[in-house]
Amino acid sequence: MQAAIQTKDMPIAGSPEATAKPSPLLELRAVTKTYGPVAALSGLEASVAPGEFVTVVGPSGCGKSTLFNIVAGLEEPDAGGILRFEGNSCHAADLLGRVSFMPQRDLLLPWRNVVDNAILALEVEGMPRAQARAKALKMLPEFGLTGFEKQYPHQLSGGMRQRVALMRTFLFERGLMLLDEPFGALDALTRAMMQRWLLDVWQKYRRTILFITHDVDEAIFLGDRVLVMTARPGSVKLEQVVDLPRPRRPEIVTAPEFVRLKRTLLDAIEEESMKSFQSAVAQEKAT
Amino acid sequence: MSGSPLASSPLAVQRGILGAVLLVVCWEGLARGLHLPSYVLPAVSEILAGVWSKRALLGEAAGYTVLEALVGYGLGCLIGIGLAVAITMLPALRAVILPAATAINSVPVVAYSPLILLWFGIGVASKMVMVAMALSFTVFLSTLAGLDRVDRRAIDLMRSFGAGRLSILWRLRLPTALPLLLAGMRVSTVRSVIVAIITEMLGAYGGLGWVIYQAVLQIDFVQVWSAIFVASAASLSFFGMIGFLERKILFWK
Repeated sequence: MQAAIQTKDMPIAGSPEATAKPSPLLELRAVTKTYGPVAALSGLEASVAPGEFVTVVGPSGCGKSTLFNIVAGLEEPDAGGILRFEGNSCHAADLLGRVSFMPQRDLLLPWRNVVDNAILALEVEGMPRAQARAKALKMLPEFGLTGFEKQYPHQLSGGMRQRVALMRTFLFERGLMLLDEPFGALDALTRAMMQRWLLDVWQKYRRTILFITHDVDEAIFLGDRVLVMTARPGSVKLEQVVDLPRPRRPEIVTAPEFVRLKRTLLDAIEEESMKSFQSAVAQEKAT
Repeated sequence: MSGSPLASSPLAVQRGILGAVLLVVCWEGLARGLHLPSYVLPAVSEILAGVWSKRALLGEAAGYTVLEALVGYGLGCLIGIGLAVAITMLPALRAVILPAATAINSVPVVAYSPLILLWFGIGVASKMVMVAMALSFTVFLSTLAGLDRVDRRAIDLMRSFGAGRLSILWRLRLPTALPLLLAGMRVSTVRSVIVAIITEMLGAYGGLGWVIYQAVLQIDFVQVWSAIFVASAASLSFFGMIGFLERKILFWK
């Protein structure tokens, strides 16, 4: 907890606009979610400033996905909590169509080629196909998909499929992007390349990103701020500002500042993992 | 769809042709070698000659049967797909439609034929209704299975884009259901011709079933076989056509 207090008042190096304390784009206060007897989230507090890249890590089963489903508008939190988006208090369902959400799996439609998969959200919005396609074609080079526009998902590698899914998310231009372990299924090399590429694209478009991962290195390398979640019921255990300069070089992962941050985060996660492990053992004994 | 017997490599096609040729040669040899009378088993050459000599009669009869089968097929597919989509869009209907459809289908469709002939007459309409009844359930069940197979997470993704039920149906559910839907439609092709012929045998003004029935009364077994040959050629080409369309449409499989 000390780290949280210590870092909260420090200026954020990566995003200078955060020092001016702009009103947060997304704010969650005392958000709780229970499924019958199971509490997935309990009193979760978090906020995301415009243009910020916030990463979320936590032990498995800590309610990260529940948090994302709420912010994507797919699930309603229990009554009592506060959810604010662009300064206005709202229901989760109001966020449907206002947040660009990318789930863990690419979920590309096998009957649509690269371009038509990328424009799915634009089509749902009602944009004419020709206009949407033209927009997507312009974005292809940045996503490393030039020449692949007519290919179908089954003809693409895992990394390319993930880039098509990201392109679909980027084309759905919303204030907040939610990425749920987008690189979780990729091999280490592809994943490292995709991380650097994502930072490039993010710096160019300056979107606000909330990014779930279970990889601490990834969380530090990408984020302006890392939120560590507690074991279930999930809440934010630690809020760690990452004051590493941008653009970040791949070598940064071995820099002493990086390693120090990693130590702090790993300690916090380990403590929570132990808790969830012990409670699982206790539950087993009780039954 | 590699499960389709007609969807296959050139090698498999060669084998299929080889099998057919072998069957014809054995049949011809058996019928001629054992001097079987034509009311037991006429030789293939005899049947083909019969088809040729009665080509006008058989052609007209086949026209009737194919028309009945095709219209009935179209109707049956529309009803089956329509009901499956309705149930998906209005889940409350599921508890009403599913038991009723199952009850109607627990009896072989031929059992309804006297009633259908009574209501729709001896002409082509009754055959079309019978074919539609026989097919709609198969198409309904396969479409429903296809529509239910959609990935929950893909629906969530569409919802997060702000998509409504219709948009999700059109852009996600129906394309997801296509492989099973088309498999159901392919299986139904042969059934449509069979049901049309059987109903014709129970009462009709024309058609291959009627020709078979008349030929049996006249003890003309070459003509029975001729009509059967024409009928199986019709059903095989219908089956092949839908199988071909299926492979064209499901290019991503």
